[in-house]
Amino acid sequence: MRHQRTLMIAALALITSASAATLEKGVLKIGMEGTYPPFTYKDEQNQLVGFDVDIAKAVAAKLGLKTEFVLTEWSGILAGLQANKYDVIVNQVGVTAERQKSIAFSTPYAYSSAQIIVRKNDNAAYKTLASLKGKRVGVGLGSNYEKMLRDAGGINVVTYPGASEYLRDLAVGRLDAALNDRLMVGYFAKSQNLPVKGAGVIEDPQAIAIALKKTNTDLKAKIDRALLQLKADGTYAKISRKWFGQDVSKK
Amino acid sequence: MNITQSMIDALPVLLTGARITVLYAVGAMLLGLPLAFLVALGRSAPWPPVRWLLDLYVSFIRGTPLLVQIFVLYYGLPGLGVTLDPVTSGVAALSLNVAAYMSVTIRASLDAVGRGQREAARSLGLSSSQTMRFVVLPQALRIGLPSLMNSLIGLIKDTSLVSVITVTELLRSAQLVIARTFEPFGPYLAAALIYWLISSLLGLVQSRLERRLHRPGPA
Repeated sequence: MRHQRTLMIAALALITSASAATLEKGVLKIGMEGTYPPFTYKDEQNQLVGFDVDIAKAVAAKLGLKTEFVLTEWSGILAGLQANKYDVIVNQVGVTAERQKSIAFSTPYAYSSAQIIVRKNDNAAYKTLASLKGKRVGVGLGSNYEKMLRDAGGINVVTYPGASEYLRDLAVGRLDAALNDRLMVGYFAKSQNLPVKGAGVIEDPQAIAIALKKTNTDLKAKIDRALLQLKADGTYAKISRKWFGQDVSKK
Repeated sequence: MNITQSMIDALPVLLTGARITVLYAVGAMLLGLPLAFLVALGRSAPWPPVRWLLDLYVSFIRGTPLLVQIFVLYYGLPGLGVTLDPVTSGVAALSLNVAAYMSVTIRASLDAVGRGQREAARSLGLSSSQTMRFVVLPQALRIGLPSLMNSLIGLIKDTSLVSVITVTELLRSAQLVIARTFEPFGPYLAAALIYWLISSLLGLVQSRLERRLHRPGPA
């Protein structure tokens, strides 16, 4: 037992020293998907762009840190944070009570709601989660939307590594509907040629925040301050309008 | 958009990913082959605990999916305080995996060299290490080469699994393109062709090596 405890302490020491070292080296490692437009994705020039990318860069700039982006599937993204693969996740992570048990969140930098997505030619009116009963609904594995679908009960939930996979399956008819971020659907309506459209919005606004390890309290305080400064100096509004044509910092 | 066009558009990104794929495969080969050899020899070591440990290792690797092994190394180990970066854990998982399979081939090849060959060599006055180097190994290599090369070609394809641990290799590169274009066929097909090309090149090396080893004359 004693031995085990020593090992645990050694492990803890390693973890804390790793998180402290981040700021010393001057690099903020940011976990994100890279396959989730318009939040994080690669553009035609193979550059990582998106709303969350801009937010992450702006925060890092306020902290005087360089950025290093680590791209990973959503399904492994929270595990990667616990395993010290990066310092923070900036990838539309919704603040939930369940997640707060194991990870810490910055002050929210956006609010969004879930929206049902259907094929363009589908006239079925899916307005609420209840209307999806018995349907095949695609969703990101381990996402908050997956939890919403499962909690609703009676829905045939099909999980995928990322949004691009289930939106494609929806488009080709292997799914009846999908559930995702209202902001993403709005972006799609404008700029994608995938034959899908938004249906009912689940009116339950969700706070979106930067996720980090609970032990990283110092970094959390700094990020919170940086987010407040970005909102005060107008940088945030500029980023938000660039991607959504509106300020998404309010509910 | 037609498929050829979307394949061509995806190509620059895919080639960057292909470089990473080759890097992982080469890294795993360079570490895996010597490791496989050590394991093969160790499994007939005169110390039972060493043999048991190595038998356990080979059995575990052969009895679990590579994908799970990658997850254990990358996401699991940090629970014990050991945090490996994606390159280290990816190469480690691939080498440990390919080494286990190759060690079995190597052992079988060594065993396939008849006992008489060793006895003859010893009676001619060669030491046991000389017997190994000059008599057993050259013959074992000839026997084991085709299946060793098959393991290496398999390794190229297995690298696609490291896409799950934040590595932007060939498969993940294709997914990044698809996430933007929602045009899956072109990028996936192009990625498949690149894997095929790399494997075929290795296959070519294999047949060259085999022909060379079967040439009569001093080894």
